[in-house]
Amino acid sequence: MSLPPSFLQQRIPLPDLLDLKAFEEVCRSFAELYRVGLRVFDEEGNRLVDVRVGNADFCGYIWARPKGREQCMATVGRAKSDPIGDDPVASPVDCFSGCKYLAQPVLYEGDVIGRVVFGPFVPEELAELPAALTSISKDFDAKAAANYLTKIRRVATGSAEKILKHFMDLLDVMIFSGHKNLIAAKLHIEAVTESYRELQEKNEELAGSYAKLKELDRLKSNFLATMSHELRTPLTSVIGYSEMMLEGLGGPLTAEQREYLGIIMEKGENLLHLITSILDISKIEAGRVRLVLADVDGGQLMRDAVATVLPLARKKGLKVACEPGQLPRFQADRDKVRQCLVNLCSNAVKFTPAGGSITVSGERLGGDRIAIHVKDTGIGIAEDHLARVFDVFYQVDGSSTREYGGAGLGLAIVRSFVEAHGGEITVRSKPGEGSVFSVVLPVMAMEPAMTPSGPQPPARG
Amino acid sequence: MVQFNADTREIAVKVVYYGPALSGKTTNLQALFQKIDPKVRGRLMTLDTKDDRTLFFDMMPVFFKTQAGVKVKLKLYTVPGQVMHESTRRIVLQGTDAIAFVADSRRAEAASTLAYWNNMLRNLEANGLDYRTLPIVIQMNKKDLEDARGEAELGDLREVIQPPVVPAVAIRGDGVVETLYAVLQLCYRSLDRSFGLESKWRIPEREFLGRIFSHVDLTGTRIPAEGAAPR
Repeated sequence: MSLPPSFLQQRIPLPDLLDLKAFEEVCRSFAELYRVGLRVFDEEGNRLVDVRVGNADFCGYIWARPKGREQCMATVGRAKSDPIGDDPVASPVDCFSGCKYLAQPVLYEGDVIGRVVFGPFVPEELAELPAALTSISKDFDAKAAANYLTKIRRVATGSAEKILKHFMDLLDVMIFSGHKNLIAAKLHIEAVTESYRELQEKNEELAGSYAKLKELDRLKSNFLATMSHELRTPLTSVIGYSEMMLEGLGGPLTAEQREYLGIIMEKGENLLHLITSILDISKIEAGRVRLVLADVDGGQLMRDAVATVLPLARKKGLKVACEPGQLPRFQADRDKVRQCLVNLCSNAVKFTPAGGSITVSGERLGGDRIAIHVKDTGIGIAEDHLARVFDVFYQVDGSSTREYGGAGLGLAIVRSFVEAHGGEITVRSKPGEGSVFSVVLPVMAMEPAMTPSGPQPPARG
Repeated sequence: MVQFNADTREIAVKVVYYGPALSGKTTNLQALFQKIDPKVRGRLMTLDTKDDRTLFFDMMPVFFKTQAGVKVKLKLYTVPGQVMHESTRRIVLQGTDAIAFVADSRRAEAASTLAYWNNMLRNLEANGLDYRTLPIVIQMNKKDLEDARGEAELGDLREVIQPPVVPAVAIRGDGVVETLYAVLQLCYRSLDRSFGLESKWRIPEREFLGRIFSHVDLTGTRIPAEGAAPR
């Protein structure tokens, strides 16, 4: 990687360092104050400023004669182009007319970047018009010319040099501040361009790793789906054969054998449930959930869900109430909604200590929507976890010694199923007091039967 | 990169003062501005913010003409120290011929000093400059403060290269001229090796340094008045 060459490396020409319009005004007012003309050239000899004071009649008179014009041009040429070195001093340039110019280089950081020609002025010592002038033509009127000459400032060369020095000092300050402004502006642009380039590079890197991560995520979902399926098949056999033995199909069993088989079956069922959840979530993540819509009775679904968790709730000493209210029938995938309610109820049982209560209630909302609330008096959820409880594999207590089991899939499945119906799930909770999970579903399910969601975003605000 | 112009017989050399924020880079240039005769230097240009910290950089030109008629232009730059000006630092560093790394000597600043040192090495690489061959001098500034590190404690900075170290208290002007001298001497030798300053351009080291340091206030330094130390 290499940066484009910076302007800091470049030499900047005089016109770029000055605001030429403003500079001309300064020159004009300066020239008028001292009543002496001024010309400023850049390094290439281009004239940037030309201010004439008082010499128009005199020079015009000479210019009107061919020989005068010729010599005038020679003088101007010398003032503009004769080598004058690179020291900050003025060099005199004499005009054949008796007038005088001063030429001085414009120096900046030791470089000659232009020149100033100061004049014409009449040197104090000039007594009468030189012969070189009076002889340019036969009809030369010396008296008229001398009269014109009085309009040009008469000044000692030493004083003229001082005036010029003053001008050069002004010019130096103008160039310096011009340079400073130019650098500030250009560097600002270069710095912004460079930062932009840098950000662009980083963005590309990030986009690359994001694509890689997405691919990995897809592979993970595929792997989970395949593995869940492969695990389920043998597990069904384990459960099935245990059941057959329990039913005595393999001959009589001792009480101990029955107890052991009971445990094998129960654990097997747990494992199957877990694997099914994983399969569900991987289907959801792969976007392969299909909703089978039908008219469903919300009250019935709620009673089913309560009935499923009731044995466990009783065992823990919890009160469970079902208040279906006046729910209209609505369109949904019966199995998926039932699973949502069962998941929510199981969680409520899991996280509510003995003596607590669980209430499942229905509510009709405006805008053709219904809500089902699952309320418990359990341990609740701290506020900073609330936004993430619906994330896949998220556990409020993520430690390996945590008190409550589970894979962290239940709520993620609920959210995906509810959202697939075009509904939403919300939670309100106070640690130590309990939680309320609310499933809100539209009465008419949305059209597409496929879940719109791929992998869920990691957190919702 | 040093710029040689054979037509106009000019050489332009760039020296950058690099270092963390508030280590004293601008102070170095301000001290040099006071100590160098205006005949051989231009104005000190500071592009700063209202809060008095360097926004972009400072720049001061130093120039002279050699016996053989070669015009030598030296530009001294500082980089902005604040972290956010990373891209400006990289731009200013572009094409540099030598570096004075101004470090805050205090132990408490060691970590940030090392971070900027490594940042500089990275930015040099980004500019296609090889820090192993580039003339670099470390100035351990603020030596008068308590908690200042000794030269033996600079192992972290000297892990990859072994630059000379000059102690300084730039705010008093101490060590500032010595730092410039050390940088320019290394710089001359490196340019001489690559471009034959003495053989091709007929500029001996003694003259190169002498043209500058004979116009510098050398009070309190051990640099000889004509500016050239024995090799």
